[in-house]
Amino acid sequence: MTAQEVRLCGLLLQEHFGDVVEKVGTHLLRNGAQHLRAIVQETGTPMDLVKKSLCVLIQHGACAFSSGRKGPGSPVEYQASFERILRILRYPRYIYTAKTLYGDTGELIIEELLQRGHMTMSSTVKTVADRLTLNMEEGHSMEYSEVSNTFSKLVETHFLQRCPPVEVAGKAVSATPDPATTPGAPANNTTPSTPESFADCYKVPHVTLIGRGKRRNSSEDGEDQRNAKRAKEDPETHGDEGIYWQVNFERFHLHFRDQAIISAVANKLDQMEFVGKSGDSGGGMYVVNLHRALANLARATLESVVQERFGSRSARIFRLLLRKRHLEQKQVEDFAMIPAKEAKDMLYTLLSENLVQLQEIPKTPDHAPSRTFYLYTVNQLPTARMLLQNCFKTVANLIERRLFETKESKRLLEKSQRIEAILASLQASGAEPEQLTEVEEMITPPEKQQLESLRHHINKLDSAENQVDETIFLLESYIKSTATATR
Amino acid sequence: VTEIRIYSFMIKELCQQFPQGITDQVIQNDMPHLEPQQRAMAINKLLSLGQLDLLRNSAGLLYRMKDTQTASKMKGSDNQEKLVYQIIEDAGNKGIWSREIRFKSNLPLTEINKILKNLESKKLIKAVKSVAASKKKVYMLYNLQPDRSVTGGAWYSDQDFESEFVEVLNQQCFKFLQSKAEAARDSKQSPMVQRNSSFATSHEVWKYICELGISKVDLSMDDIETILNTLIYDGKVEMTVIAAKEGTVGSVDGQMKLYRGVNAIIQPTGLVKVPCGLCPVFDDCHEGGEISPSNCIYMAEWLDF
Repeated sequence: MTAQEVRLCGLLLQEHFGDVVEKVGTHLLRNGAQHLRAIVQETGTPMDLVKKSLCVLIQHGACAFSSGRKGPGSPVEYQASFERILRILRYPRYIYTAKTLYGDTGELIIEELLQRGHMTMSSTVKTVADRLTLNMEEGHSMEYSEVSNTFSKLVETHFLQRCPPVEVAGKAVSATPDPATTPGAPANNTTPSTPESFADCYKVPHVTLIGRGKRRNSSEDGEDQRNAKRAKEDPETHGDEGIYWQVNFERFHLHFRDQAIISAVANKLDQMEFVGKSGDSGGGMYVVNLHRALANLARATLESVVQERFGSRSARIFRLLLRKRHLEQKQVEDFAMIPAKEAKDMLYTLLSENLVQLQEIPKTPDHAPSRTFYLYTVNQLPTARMLLQNCFKTVANLIERRLFETKESKRLLEKSQRIEAILASLQASGAEPEQLTEVEEMITPPEKQQLESLRHHINKLDSAENQVDETIFLLESYIKSTATATR
Repeated sequence: VTEIRIYSFMIKELCQQFPQGITDQVIQNDMPHLEPQQRAMAINKLLSLGQLDLLRNSAGLLYRMKDTQTASKMKGSDNQEKLVYQIIEDAGNKGIWSREIRFKSNLPLTEINKILKNLESKKLIKAVKSVAASKKKVYMLYNLQPDRSVTGGAWYSDQDFESEFVEVLNQQCFKFLQSKAEAARDSKQSPMVQRNSSFATSHEVWKYICELGISKVDLSMDDIETILNTLIYDGKVEMTVIAAKEGTVGSVDGQMKLYRGVNAIIQPTGLVKVPCGLCPVFDDCHEGGEISPSNCIYMAEWLDF
């Protein structure tokens, strides 16, 4: 794990789950698989807090447990997943995609599941229906069946999947597996099972869910707590207890990847490298060469970075080297039609930034410099890896800046929140307009401006995080695809 | 000795009669009484006087009248100069480097330099600066046009790379291809037809540029293709090759190159929309350091934008 990766995960965990979970999570990321006692000792956190943190992480799929390496009987070990934690960065994109595909209902379903990690269908449907109802006109509410419908569609298209059932370590699996509840789990599970290795992964359970969303009125705090308590005591069952659902990230990634390819093709109208002919069955089978497509997108990303950082002439040199692979200094000057002095300067700059490498080819066994070919070259895969690390650092920088800006204006934010609370309570109890304006004026105009500027900054930083995540997605997909292609 | 003189004179007359050169056989036919030894001596005298050129062809040796102008100029020269002159003449319009003259003639450097200076002042040879190595001078005959590899061709004028000229050509070619692509798009036909009609052959582009008249030098189709290649490296143009019948206008070796203006396949990537992606001190930045995200001036400027 690189230092940048750990730093970024730490920031993400802290923002979403708090300091304690961040401490435990970061510790696991740095030290690999560990058992409970070790975590407690090494982080200096009390046992019960560690347990709760682990629960949170497991609930969100960011941590997995397995039997100890020292053989059966040794304590269970926990391992954090860097990749899964990084996905937190992409939550906005998942939610937005769900909205474009399945409307507001889809958006809320995905949002709820991302926030809770694992949920049953029935509780998801009820929560989402309630939230939708809140935004509807007085007297209208959302039918449970409508939400269930959207939920089923999400499952059908594999955007949602069942959480794989958990095997308790050491317990023997029943000899006659019940097809409805425990789909064939192998007895000795040494290899990690994917959710899709279970047959019922995408099967919507039969739930009895009749009703409509409930509207919550007036103040939310007190009511919420009471309702939550009621829900716990509520013995209402819907027939899907124990069946938990999670968001299927890989399916969203497939969607993003397809989108990226389609827009690239639309930009160029055709990209014959993407489509190859494989066989003549049925009048010619055409295959979209995915690895090539991703490589091209990654290449375009690298070129874009060079262009924006160093200018279009350096970008010309960079593209030239990508195409021709190995070139001498003189050849670069000739092909790019850039004067010798400037070309040399640009090449050396690119070299110092490690975007371009030098390959020595000696003509004589003594490797004398005057009798050696020096060829410039670009290695796409290592360069992509390096840029990916830069992306991680950049996102971490953006998050830190956002936290800093918020901290700087903490006093002002607290004041503004207090005033808003006062206003809300005044309005609820039917106050005079003069009283309201008096309270509003407690925030001076310069303070208002400061708040406005802070809001603007935070928004900008937020959207910047998403933009850099797009680059992360392209580079990661390319690197992963290359790894499998060359295996 | 006087006889040799007379024989030389007669051979010289023969040479003047046959300006393309004469062989031993011709001399023998004309002067059958001349013995080979005497003939040789007469010819050598003419050669040493610099009045005859000795050449070899498939049939044998050939003697030719030397160009009188150069012959008169060379009269004062000694053998060494003549040797050097010969070497330079052989190099044709590519010219030859002084060190190579030394290797070929085996003369010491000081001698060579003296001779070269002499020949230059007599305006028999000239020095041309090579564009490849600006300190290297190559020598060639005075009235020869230097070869392109020495002068750099159309892109160099007096050793200077004409970047502005190249830039202008680059822009003009791109504009031409762009407008062709736009015309194709506006025609609103099927995508495949649009794509095909947005292509231009290198010949078409060459003709357009020639007609524009922006170049004071004659540009060849190859020159235009090198410019078009730079547009490919700019990511603005793509090229395909198609088979063409021999004799089709613009085809070379049964192929034609087609060029088309294109858009980039992605927008500028997310990373570069953020100050960190372009930051010159990216590697020095870390939280708690002198340069950190919290106190970054680039971020401050960007946020207030």
